[in-house]
Amino acid sequence: MKRFIVAFIAAYVFMFAWGWLLNGVLLKDVYAETPNLWRSQSEMMSLFHWIIIGQALLIFAFVVIYASGFAGGGVMAGIRLGILLEIAAIGMRMAIYAIQPFPGKLIIYGSVNGLIEMIIVGAIVGAIYKPAAARTV
Amino acid sequence: MDWKKFFIAFVAAFGFIFVFGFLWYGKLMHGAHSEVPALWRTEADFGSHFSWLVFGHIVMAFFLTLLCSKFVPAGGPGPCAKLGILVALIYVGVDLIWFAVQPLTTKILGGMIVGDLIQFGVAGAIIGAIYKSSSPVAR
Repeated sequence: MKRFIVAFIAAYVFMFAWGWLLNGVLLKDVYAETPNLWRSQSEMMSLFHWIIIGQALLIFAFVVIYASGFAGGGVMAGIRLGILLEIAAIGMRMAIYAIQPFPGKLIIYGSVNGLIEMIIVGAIVGAIYKPAAARTV
Repeated sequence: MDWKKFFIAFVAAFGFIFVFGFLWYGKLMHGAHSEVPALWRTEADFGSHFSWLVFGHIVMAFFLTLLCSKFVPAGGPGPCAKLGILVALIYVGVDLIWFAVQPLTTKILGGMIVGDLIQFGVAGAIIGAIYKSSSPVAR
């Protein structure tokens, strides 16, 4: 349980910092091309807690999936899980692209970012979380 | 890996995800979506991007099937439904983030959350019911 919590916190801190750097700084101009699709800055800030809860839920589910079916495989198993989940998410992004008028480059940037992000999240979780049996061997 | 069962499970999962998505998002939530028309493509624009919708669902179904086969090599609807719900929780997290940054209504957010949980939970159960590896698989 202790390693579960440490893995969760480490992956969460990474995702939060990465998300801020990428979406809040690097892609700011790309988002600005479609202002009608986004909330205003002040509105986003008033709903910021949903970003924190959403990221926490995402990381929690990731660590639970890893701990339930992939634990013991180490960093590589975590990376594999991250890649599998992110490619499924790219499928979701393609479906969203069909119904919302996003610029294509935003979907490409989001997918590349997501892949890097989930590979690193997987590596962090795989490096930190180990099942009790593996630790005692 | 039993590729024949894998393929059948993938096709069944794709069929369910696609039909459920059409009924849930296209029909049941149509009224909620029309409250914020600026967020969606026009009917004609959507028609010209329809292939992305189909391809996106194929990718989702394929990788959910692959994940189930790795996560639960023995198959079974219960464990795979559990995995489907866990995967849905990842998407629910993304839904909450989208709600914070896009002017979605709480009705749409609620529909997305419930839709994700049903869609992936049932798709997982379908995959688990069909896919059973013919030999024990080492992870």
